Amino acid sequence: MTALSVHQINKYFHEPVNFHVLKDISFEVTKGEFVAIIGKSGSGKSTLLYLLSTMDTDYGGSIAINGTQVTGLKQNQLAKFRNEHIGFVFQFHFLLPEFSVLDNVMLPALKLKKKGKEEIEHEALELLSMLGLNGQEHKRASRISGGQQQRVAIARALINGPAIIMGDEPTGNLDSKNTKIVFDIFRRLAKERGQTIIAVTHDDEFAANCDRIIELSDGVLI
Amino acid sequence: MNINQKIASVLLTSRLRQLMVAVLSVTFGISMYVFMNSFMAGVNNQQTEITFTSMAHIKIYNDLSDEVKPIMPVPADTHTVIMVNNARNIRYTEGIKNADGIKEQLSTHDEITGITAQLNQNVFLRNGVSKISAMLSGVETISEDQVFKTSEYLVEGDLQDLDKRSDGIILGISLAKGIGVHTGDNVAVITSDGISKSFKVVGLLETGASAADKTKAIVSIQTARQLFSKNKSYATEILVNIKDYALAQKIAGQLSSLTRYKVEPWQEGNSQLDSANVLRDIIAIAVSLTILIVAGFGIYNIMNMTVNEKIKEIAILKAMGFNGKDVIEIFLTQSVVIGLMGGLTGLVLGRIIVSIVDNIPFKIATLTTLPVEYRTSDYLMAFCFGIIITFLAGYLPARKASKIDPVDILRG
Ligand SMILES: Nc1ncnc2c1ncn2[C@@H]1O[C@H](COP(=O)(O)OP(=O)(O)OP(=O)(O)O)[C@@H](O)[C@H]1O
Ligand SMILES: [Mg+2]
Repeated sequence: MTALSVHQINKYFHEPVNFHVLKDISFEVTKGEFVAIIGKSGSGKSTLLYLLSTMDTDYGGSIAINGTQVTGLKQNQLAKFRNEHIGFVFQFHFLLPEFSVLDNVMLPALKLKKKGKEEIEHEALELLSMLGLNGQEHKRASRISGGQQQRVAIARALINGPAIIMGDEPTGNLDSKNTKIVFDIFRRLAKERGQTIIAVTHDDEFAANCDRIIELSDGVLI
Repeated sequence: MNINQKIASVLLTSRLRQLMVAVLSVTFGISMYVFMNSFMAGVNNQQTEITFTSMAHIKIYNDLSDEVKPIMPVPADTHTVIMVNNARNIRYTEGIKNADGIKEQLSTHDEITGITAQLNQNVFLRNGVSKISAMLSGVETISEDQVFKTSEYLVEGDLQDLDKRSDGIILGISLAKGIGVHTGDNVAVITSDGISKSFKVVGLLETGASAADKTKAIVSIQTARQLFSKNKSYATEILVNIKDYALAQKIAGQLSSLTRYKVEPWQEGNSQLDSANVLRDIIAIAVSLTILIVAGFGIYNIMNMTVNEKIKEIAILKAMGFNGKDVIEIFLTQSVVIGLMGGLTGLVLGRIIVSIVDNIPFKIATLTTLPVEYRTSDYLMAFCFGIIITFLAGYLPARKASKIDPVDILRG
């Protein structure tokens, strides 16, 4: 089954100069596949991921996720879709600094309202301990280290059990031990729950262990 | 508490100093609104009260009809010319003959709170050689007190004394001073027909309206009827008070169908009082609304700053699936909370200011302290306006926040 289908994507930046970032990109990812996107810095990986995550809607071509054509949906529909089906880990961790670690993880689930507060809290605590963050739950998100923040962001991406998890260098700030933990979690989610993982990475070892590697070079798929 | 409200409360409490400034600006606006309106209402009431010590809401009297009836029928043929020079409009009846009957008839109207009959005539008062003109009022002491609260304005004596002794008279305080009499002294009343009778001053009246204090002399209506040799039920006017003096015109219209005499609401010929009240109300509302609007700009400013500061958080929320409506709710909740907190403290502060003003000494006319009114409607209106203005002031920044495009912010 196809989890993600990208057809003839073209993306331009107009500021400061007209710039063709992504050129005729087409590919498909099947459900439960663990895909790595690699490429030189500035090749357009992050740009592509923003398109796939439905946040950036200014592009040509079409994107379908889990059989739903997301190209052309309204902002509010996309927000709901993201909340339910996509987990996203940003290149820079982007937590809500005023909230506790636990609250940050719980927010997307509280928004989705599929489960009760108790259950959400229980699952969030489980995710945090799985990512080695025991004892940090009630600290404010601005008061933990960069690597810890990145793992909190990963926990937040996983809380709603999304069909697709996208990460922009999700392990970029982690030591090899924690990289291994995150990698194993992704692996297990893909295998056991059939969740699809798309991760941008500069880590060759990380990429080599994935199911498939997609390489970008100056906005072209090779 | 739903998730949006929770986010709102976290954002709100993360900047306590800003929160306090915003709340205080609303507090100030609302308390000023309460104060201004309470004070103006107090002044209006005071003015009205003074006005109605000498004037009833509705006056019924025998008016000289202004249409002069033709003396001879206009001839049908065109050859005859009628010349009448200096036609006179003769009043055949004077005053109201059966005041008691009319009073009884009016008392069935349920808007009426008091009716009294008066017999008013211009007279001269004489004490030795000093002589001064005065307006002699023959009153029904009990109902007079109901309509005009006369006994509240008596600085000496008792209104009921007029019933006890038929030669008792109460004088306006300036009038008494003018002819140099005190309570207990005698004074002669001389009517326009030249009849003179001696009265004993049993009390003094101070209403605060100098025209009344300078001219008014009160006796019982029976005494007045005797003095002017009128029949038992005679009066020159019947004075009516109603529940709401603002409705005098409407009720006067209803009453005029009950009697052939002229029924005149107080506004007729006193429009300056009416317009002064309205103008004071307009000033009060204009000033207090201005203050509230300034407070609104304060909130607008603070909420705008908050939106700019939290732009990254808004982008993250949107990236996680919060939509435009959620963002509006999050920011609007913050301003409504500011409005509620500022509103409630504003009402309390306003109430405190009003009671302080109520105790500031102000000794002019019959006043002892500055006049204020305690009206629930002022507090309700202040609160409503406060909420509406904070809502509007919060809505614009909230809408701006909802339009933020998350990629623009997150791409860095
Ligand atoms: N907002 C923007 N406006 C204009 N050009 C942009 C913008 N964002 C990125 N670019 C350009 O688009 C190209 C691709 O950027 P992108 O962030 O996708 O690179 P990347 O592959 O993620 O690089 P890295 O590995 O360093 O994160 C770069 O040349 C960059 O200069
Ligand atoms: Mg990047």
